[in-house]
Amino acid sequence: MTGTIARRLASIVPVMCIVAICVFLLLHFAPGDPAAIMAGDNATPANIAAIRAKLGLDQPVWLQFLVWVHNLLRGDLGTSLFWGEGVMTLIGQRAEPTISLALTTITFAVVVAVTLGVVAAAKVGSLLDRAVMGFAVMGFSVPVFVVGYLLIFVFAIILKWLPVQGYTPIAEGVLPWLRNLILPSFALGMAYVALIARITRATMLDVLAEDYMRTAKAKGVATRPMLLKHALKNAAVPIVTVIGNGVALLIGGVVITETVFNIPGVGRLVVDAIARRDYPIIQGVIMVFSGVYVLVNLLVDLSYTLFDPRVRG
Amino acid sequence: MNATRRSMLRGSLAGLGLAAAPGILHAQPRPSERRTVRAVLQDDLPNYDPIWTTANIVAYHGAMVYDTLFGLDAKFQIRPQMVTAWDVSADKLTYTFELRDGLRFSDNTPVTSADVVPSIRRWMVRSGPGQILAPRVRDISPKDDKTFVVALSERFPLLLDLFATTTTPVLFIMRKREAETDPMQKIDQVVGSGPFTLNQDETRVGSRYVYDRNPTYVPRDEPASGMTGGKLVKLDRTIFVNMPDAQTAVAALEAGEIDFYEIPPADLLDQLQDNPDIIVENLSELGWVGYIALNWLYPPFDNIKCRQALLHVMNQADMLRPTFVSPKWYRTCPSYFTCGSAMDNDANTDWFRSGPDIPLAKQLLKEGGYDGRPIVMLQATNILYMSNAATVLAQEMRNAGMNVDLQPMDWANVVQRRASQNPPDKGGWNLFFTSCGGLGNSDPFMLAQMASIGRKGWFGWPDDARNEDLRAKWMMAETLAERKTLAVEIQENAWNVVPHISFGQWIQPGAHRRNVTGWLHVPGVVVFWNLEKA
Repeated sequence: MTGTIARRLASIVPVMCIVAICVFLLLHFAPGDPAAIMAGDNATPANIAAIRAKLGLDQPVWLQFLVWVHNLLRGDLGTSLFWGEGVMTLIGQRAEPTISLALTTITFAVVVAVTLGVVAAAKVGSLLDRAVMGFAVMGFSVPVFVVGYLLIFVFAIILKWLPVQGYTPIAEGVLPWLRNLILPSFALGMAYVALIARITRATMLDVLAEDYMRTAKAKGVATRPMLLKHALKNAAVPIVTVIGNGVALLIGGVVITETVFNIPGVGRLVVDAIARRDYPIIQGVIMVFSGVYVLVNLLVDLSYTLFDPRVRG
Repeated sequence: MNATRRSMLRGSLAGLGLAAAPGILHAQPRPSERRTVRAVLQDDLPNYDPIWTTANIVAYHGAMVYDTLFGLDAKFQIRPQMVTAWDVSADKLTYTFELRDGLRFSDNTPVTSADVVPSIRRWMVRSGPGQILAPRVRDISPKDDKTFVVALSERFPLLLDLFATTTTPVLFIMRKREAETDPMQKIDQVVGSGPFTLNQDETRVGSRYVYDRNPTYVPRDEPASGMTGGKLVKLDRTIFVNMPDAQTAVAALEAGEIDFYEIPPADLLDQLQDNPDIIVENLSELGWVGYIALNWLYPPFDNIKCRQALLHVMNQADMLRPTFVSPKWYRTCPSYFTCGSAMDNDANTDWFRSGPDIPLAKQLLKEGGYDGRPIVMLQATNILYMSNAATVLAQEMRNAGMNVDLQPMDWANVVQRRASQNPPDKGGWNLFFTSCGGLGNSDPFMLAQMASIGRKGWFGWPDDARNEDLRAKWMMAETLAERKTLAVEIQENAWNVVPHISFGQWIQPGAHRRNVTGWLHVPGVVVFWNLEKA
């Protein structure tokens, strides 16, 4: 087991190296000049050239790459071209809102989606099943920002139950923290709910058709234990896999959701950085997101051993 | 030890408490909501150095934290601010200024001439007009703690105009320590003598910028007017909230989560005006001027006839209406200078009065030798007025037989591309869109765009000796009447040679909650003193 984990951890290294090279090259060959943006609209070409030299952007790309890699290996993601603060500091400041949003969204999505998927599978062909599947199709089809604006309009503007935007740190109280996260989590979680609910239903239907389920039913096992203890546990591997793969979906959604709900998280940080071509932030955030994605998928792989003893062997 | 649901719940709550602990321990007492104004402004602050950059938003920050020697009042008249008295020698070559009593930086050190002198010197390096002033300055020196002298080598009647203007970079006075920073470097500390201080503990760059009332600030004994007068801070805190999504900002304003939104989109202004809790108010009467930069280096716009042809192609109203919706928010303007400003005139504007004339444009293009080559138009699709104006003008140019290559990209890409002096088919360009503040465009001097000095000048690189000659005369003119006469000549010349084209003017009303009153009208800057919140 330890060997498996070590091998999987080691496999992260080449993945991250490839990500690092791609990120750097894509950014530096994409058009846009941070010095020109920084200088403002009235700046002359000489002003811009001076800023470019000051930032080291007039150096050859290969040299900039080597400097970046050298710093990266020392755990230094660089300094923002605009704010002059360390990228790690900026990511650290923005991490709490993003982690909060991601965790509340995953919790909401998994609880709702697995419940809907199990119920739909148990009542296959019923009105409830069709309603759940209809909801799943809609959830997957409607973009996050549309759901977000609709939620804001109904729950913040009309009903005034929840705030339009912003983020309250958990340090200022769990309830205010949660109030700010309900709408964004719901908006972001819709697609996730749809995805997991469909997979849960489909997998549960496969498992429920197995002989051992018929045997359990024949032995008089009640419906709830049969669904939750026998069927769901056996259906868990594909569900957990989808949850893990869905992290990429979540990361993409976080960027949009944070913008719509004005949550000062890592997603907003990278959107602003892209608009300004603040290369160190873009590179740093993508590296962190990539690392998170790879780690989550590693954890998903490892979790198979909990659900399926055959994997342990 | 078995994990039960109850123990899991206890553990989760303990974890939440633990996560909250550092914030609780470090939490600062905050002013109440009644004493706080939250504002969503045009952009995020790119840095804290208002001398280093010309970005307008940094001047907003500068006006909070720093003070100016002079300022423009609500009627654009120059009035003293940090200065209490000044004297000009008979030969008009020596200006002596005296600072008013009680000026202190927020670190409680007094403001002295030793701070002012390096502040002016650093600003002269970074500011376009300052660079014109610099060779005319023989010396700037402190006479004593409260007095400093500017000695000129030749007369320069615009000196006080430069000290007072809100065209960026504004001459903000910094401590000697920051003022002596290399002008090519940004300052590393934010300590000013203005009405607010930046609360860096509560600020989160890119998200919110927190300004507290500066307890050491001594306002002038006069009512506030524009950038001058008593900058009385009646509330405790102002927060600049960075909120890039316009729809969210409008919703936040309607819900009362923010108090001010500087640039609500024009198509949502009617919705805001219908809300009884919100007032839509124009804080900058001169507004903004739309601007088409033409590349003088390459065909077809290296040819005067082809540039003139564009004047006869363009329909300003068509270009403005898709973005600004109603004539309430925009106006067509044939003047080379901002309409409504002192230099506004109607010399040589037949091209505008007669309206678009496609046959004439075709004739001019023919005379200019236009050979049908692609005309590269840069379209910043993430800035609505630029994108819409480009779409409309491209079609109008096609109607006149021009082969327009409309290249969509984001603004970041435009600002990189526009710096290229390569041919249009090798990474260069022929025309792009931007805008400038109405105040800056009110004279031929403040903006780099007004100079026609060739490849060393602003993007487009117009080269016109007569314009430069007239500008130089304008700078040396002593009276408003002389300047107006010269402005007519500049405009006559400009609409002949067409260094660039303006495509009209618009106002950008802000929206604020009705319970926040006392907003001051300042061209180019939004200021937050004088506000009260009911």
